Amino acid sequence: MSVEIPKTLEDFPNSSPRFVGRGVDRVEDPHLVTGRTEFIDNVVLPGMLHAAILRSPVAHARITGIDVSEAEKLPGVFAIVTGEDAKRWSFPPPTAPEEWGTHCMATDKVRYVGEPVAAVAAVDRYVAEDAIELIAVDYEPLEVVADPAKAMEPGSPLVIEEKGTNVMLQRVFNWGEVDEAFRDADRVFTEKFRWNRLGANPLETFGVIAQWDPVAGSLTLRASVQSATHFGLGRAAVFGLPSNKVRVIGHPHGGSFGGKGGTRGTDVTALLTRKAGGRPVKWIEDRAEYLTGGGSQSWDRHYEVSLAVKDDGRVTGLDVKLLDDMGATGECFGAINTVKPLAAFTGPYTIPVARYDLTIVATNKLPQSPYRGMGPPPHFCALEQMMDIAARDLEIDPAEMRRKNFIPKDAFPYTIASGNEYDSGDYEAVLDGALELSDYPELRERQARARAEGRCVGIGVVSAIEPGVFDWNAYAIVGVQGIGVPEGATVSIDILGKISIRVGFALEGQGQYTLATQLVADYFNVGFEDITVVPLDTFSAPPAFGPGGSRLGVALTGAVLGACEKLRAKLVRVAAGLFQMDPEQVDLVDGNLVAKGVPGVEMSMPQVVGTMLARSDLLPPDIDPRPEATYVWTAAGRTEADEEGRAKSYLTAAQAVHVVMVEVDPETGLVEILEYCVVDDCGTRLNPATVEGQTEGSIAQGIGAALLEEYVYDDQGQILTSSYMDYLLPTINEVPATKKGIVVTPSPFTPLGAKGCGEGAMHTTPAAILSAINDALVPLGARATEVPASPNRLWNLIRGAKERTAGE
Amino acid sequence: MKPARFEYAAPDSLAEAISLLEQHADDDVKILAGGQSLVPLLNMRMARPEFLIDLNRIAELQYIREEAGWLAIGAMTRKRAVEESELVRQRQPALLAATQLVGHPQIRNRGTVGGSMAHADPAAEYPALALLLGVELRVAGPGGERRIPAADFFHGYLATALEPTDVLTEVRIPVLDPGTGWSFLEVARRHGDFAMGGAGATVRLDASGKLSEVRIALFGVGAAALRLHDVERELVGEQPGEALFQDAGARASQGLEDPLSDVHASAEYRRNLARVLTVRVLEEAVGRAGGAGGREEGSR
Repeated sequence: MSVEIPKTLEDFPNSSPRFVGRGVDRVEDPHLVTGRTEFIDNVVLPGMLHAAILRSPVAHARITGIDVSEAEKLPGVFAIVTGEDAKRWSFPPPTAPEEWGTHCMATDKVRYVGEPVAAVAAVDRYVAEDAIELIAVDYEPLEVVADPAKAMEPGSPLVIEEKGTNVMLQRVFNWGEVDEAFRDADRVFTEKFRWNRLGANPLETFGVIAQWDPVAGSLTLRASVQSATHFGLGRAAVFGLPSNKVRVIGHPHGGSFGGKGGTRGTDVTALLTRKAGGRPVKWIEDRAEYLTGGGSQSWDRHYEVSLAVKDDGRVTGLDVKLLDDMGATGECFGAINTVKPLAAFTGPYTIPVARYDLTIVATNKLPQSPYRGMGPPPHFCALEQMMDIAARDLEIDPAEMRRKNFIPKDAFPYTIASGNEYDSGDYEAVLDGALELSDYPELRERQARARAEGRCVGIGVVSAIEPGVFDWNAYAIVGVQGIGVPEGATVSIDILGKISIRVGFALEGQGQYTLATQLVADYFNVGFEDITVVPLDTFSAPPAFGPGGSRLGVALTGAVLGACEKLRAKLVRVAAGLFQMDPEQVDLVDGNLVAKGVPGVEMSMPQVVGTMLARSDLLPPDIDPRPEATYVWTAAGRTEADEEGRAKSYLTAAQAVHVVMVEVDPETGLVEILEYCVVDDCGTRLNPATVEGQTEGSIAQGIGAALLEEYVYDDQGQILTSSYMDYLLPTINEVPATKKGIVVTPSPFTPLGAKGCGEGAMHTTPAAILSAINDALVPLGARATEVPASPNRLWNLIRGAKERTAGE
Repeated sequence: MKPARFEYAAPDSLAEAISLLEQHADDDVKILAGGQSLVPLLNMRMARPEFLIDLNRIAELQYIREEAGWLAIGAMTRKRAVEESELVRQRQPALLAATQLVGHPQIRNRGTVGGSMAHADPAAEYPALALLLGVELRVAGPGGERRIPAADFFHGYLATALEPTDVLTEVRIPVLDPGTGWSFLEVARRHGDFAMGGAGATVRLDASGKLSEVRIALFGVGAAALRLHDVERELVGEQPGEALFQDAGARASQGLEDPLSDVHASAEYRRNLARVLTVRVLEEAVGRAGGAGGREEGSR
């Protein structure tokens, strides 16, 4: 049956919708603020044991012996597992690139600091931690490779010896006549950039309760997991179980941002419950485990970027060379971080040709995980610096440099060089909005006055794209098979007219239950109090992927409205039968089934539902009497990647312009953000308050990336930032109040015209701050090309520039 | 992140605490004050005492009072209480300024004045303030009570004059003499972090506007907080001014032995901070004393 999903609010069967498009209070919040949300660590099962994991203290070593006999004697210990158990009961996980994975515990050697070596299940976490101290492991040191360039040299130590190389993937993508563009350019600019390893840091770390059923040979996992269905499929592959023998019950999580991978910890915990004869085992990742061995690290990049530019400021070619240090394995799909930039390679610009020379290398570090933005933020940080370098050389204002190269608003849908299609946009309107909101001319005057006083004040004006609504086809080139990204919802009405929305994902913080409630309330003209959202496990939920890739707002809108449409059609047919009319003569209007043009002939929804449940003999013969409907939404028009990796991958392209003013203290290198202004266009805002919250949080993470956050490893692969004393997250003191403005160009491709916006400002903020810093450094003759732009780094640059000047 | 097994006692009085310390003289004992450093160390099993004596129930160790030119502060007084004390605001503004640089309000709600002194973290504000102002530390032990000047109390990296059976009971801070200019500044990655470098200064001027008394302390740059006696001596008797301050900064920087180096700041960078901060605290302190070459309050 074909379903026509409403394209606008006017298509709703409701003459006065009250909720969609408004910043309504979130249905999730009362539980959160009263401490009643059922996070995984609150869950206690009968007979439950607690796990602790012994992790490698060294980056690369052969394990020549493990003695668990002392640990076994400790009272309260129930099970101990090592690499031998992992070999007996599990396989390496699915990875990207394929076959770059290892077992969940070291079986022959350790490959990074923090890698699980053994684990204990005991009566409580204290005893479990006491027990792992009693396990003796003999390590025979191996030469460490912690530098990706050295890892590529012949004779380098190999992280996974069987692969014969540390190069996970090396490929050059050519989109158009790139060499020609550079040959014909008036000017060519080249610069190197370093984006240091950082990553997701949710308030809640990962947690899981695993329970093995030795009779059925099945595994139940309760976990703070982001995508339960895919997580379950992955675990089935790891344990060699049929996919219908792994049940995943998702729990609300205290943030994810990509860091809720938790696969190794889950697999270790699953081995423990099996070894403990099926007693449930809980493992709550502690913060040290998260920072050194969890889903915490992403994007460890070395860039060399060239831009071909005409004298009038038009950019005619982009050449990006990237070396990404993936860490020891490809188990957390970190490599897809390097491929997502294909969805927006040339940013908001009309750059006609581009090249991507991509190398992914294994080293003795923690494997990379996803992080908010999934890869483009470093790419845009580099691209936007190149735009500034060109603008400065051409003596063009950075805002005008962007304007000259923007995709014009009448060119959409627009296919970029790397193959993706942007849905819609009005980039000049966004730029003009940002320049007006920030009072850009006044900012430049303030800067001039500050410079006259000898202060280092700079302004950044940058723009970037947020690809939204991801599809796995984007990742075909790193070997991620097309497994689909469906989102389903079931909407049902009970005999009293109360409505349930059943979904297949757990709360993550983006207010998606509120969105579902807004949509259904407006569709059926009921109140929030009439609706409940019910998250289901993987054995009962409709097909679902859940949050990820800035998709769920759009996908859930499609799923919920599709289910509403199907349910409406069913109610109309039932009512028509009862009215003895054709279905075409009956409609749902403001929550009632009415006969068109026959005043007084109508039924309420509870009356119709009551008839369906009480008198199915009165229904049309082919009607399913359940007063509910399920719809599964997928993005239309996605294509397979061609031989150059080009595909219609992400469905939407949101765009933003950030204007930032900073002051650099030249004596200390400290950066202070003086002004922060954002204007963005993510299409229709289904809940503007939620969008604003996403923007605020994403700006904070962007500030962290630009100024603070960095996982530091030494040349022996030891992590030097294993606590929050050294891995620095921005606090409220580091995040300024922002001015915000909006532009709305609805997407022609999505239900109600919304675009993905969950990852948001992270795409733009690091670039904006680095641009502002570089603008501030111009009078000193220094240029920052590395983030985080820490005080020490900036001071080094300023001192170096001074010494050069003095030497001239 | 669960601590190893330990015994625990929470005495209600100082006498009881001292008696417990004597009874457990042969054990590895730690005293728990606000717990802002010790509890993480316990959880990471980097500290593994056999016996933990928790002072948090000892009400007699929580007070702030003025005693003839001194502020007497009970060792278990929370930093938040110092921050909110009208007495502190009026009598020793440098203490207030230093306190506000310690962590965040949540940390200051728990962290104690005595705990910071006894822990002697090289990047902490309080030991540097103690050296700068000439603080006295009152200590109770099995042999009775004694008073230790700050200059003798701090023995280097996380080390003090406290014996295993001692309890730090009171921190005595001289009130600020009228006419004394002061400054206390630090450079940290984020507000509330341990400083990559910090400095404090107090100055007095004579009738002709020359420096008659100068004290400078640095912290966060080396293994322990330190006074810059040599630099101070060179400044006394001089007319304050930018060139003089720059000169002092250069000497502070050159005189620094073995500056710390870590992921946030290299030794070279810390040497630079020693110079920059020495200049800035002198400017600000002289400004507050009403002298020439000074900088207005809050202009940094």
